[in-house]
Amino acid sequence: MQNTLALVVTTPPNSNLTTSAINLVHAAIENNVKVIGVFFYQDGVLNAAKHLSIPSDEFQTLTQWQQLNSRYDVPLYLCISAAEKRGLTDELNNHEPSSHELSHEPSQETSNIDSVFTVSGLGELVELTSKAERVVQL
Amino acid sequence: MSDVTQATKTVAIVNTQAPFSSAAGKEALDAALIFGSFEQAISLFFIGDGVFQMIGDQNASSIAVKDYLKTFSALEFYDIENIYLCKESLNERNLPANFHIDNIQVLAQNEFSQRLHSHHVIYRF
Repeated sequence: MQNTLALVVTTPPNSNLTTSAINLVHAAIENNVKVIGVFFYQDGVLNAAKHLSIPSDEFQTLTQWQQLNSRYDVPLYLCISAAEKRGLTDELNNHEPSSHELSHEPSQETSNIDSVFTVSGLGELVELTSKAERVVQL
Repeated sequence: MSDVTQATKTVAIVNTQAPFSSAAGKEALDAALIFGSFEQAISLFFIGDGVFQMIGDQNASSIAVKDYLKTFSALEFYDIENIYLCKESLNERNLPANFHIDNIQVLAQNEFSQRLHSHHVIYRF
């Protein structure tokens, strides 16, 4: 049976521990370990910020997470309560816009969370912890 | 989430930071309560500055912080009874054994370490 790994990321994109987390996922995949999920908690939720612009000569964490999700189907779970505490939400402008607002801002975003992240909660952490053969927190 | 295995793993949450300088303590407690609500075997450990989280008679409102310490009393409703505190960490900080919840077991470093190592998964906050 294939070995399984769950990863918990608690550091923001500019932390070296986040780089280590990305490297760990790559190494796991190369060694035929199935990464059943990455859970973003505490300041780790900032990795999901859609509008974060990191200078182009620096390590692009968001691009890395996007690639891990699209190429290897690594699920990326975001703790929404930790995210909302830090300004990230998938319910931007969900009120009925008035005609005044509509005329001035025709296209309004409904989320500032990147779409590769699955909005979830701590129950997902319980499930990953329970299922994975090995759990690593960074 | 019906397929969460019933407590096949023991999980330890280690608290290493003082209560109000960051959200770490509150987020550790939130996680512990969710594990508890899923009937997982969960223990709480307090070491280093983490021991400050257990000290009674703190006034969070004086620094405009929400007092999450009150939420610790919810642990007993989820049958979370394994709460361990490092004796040396208390002594180093000259703190009295005046805690705001019951059921705290103060352990010497050696035994604290042994209890911690008996868990399958360790989360550190």
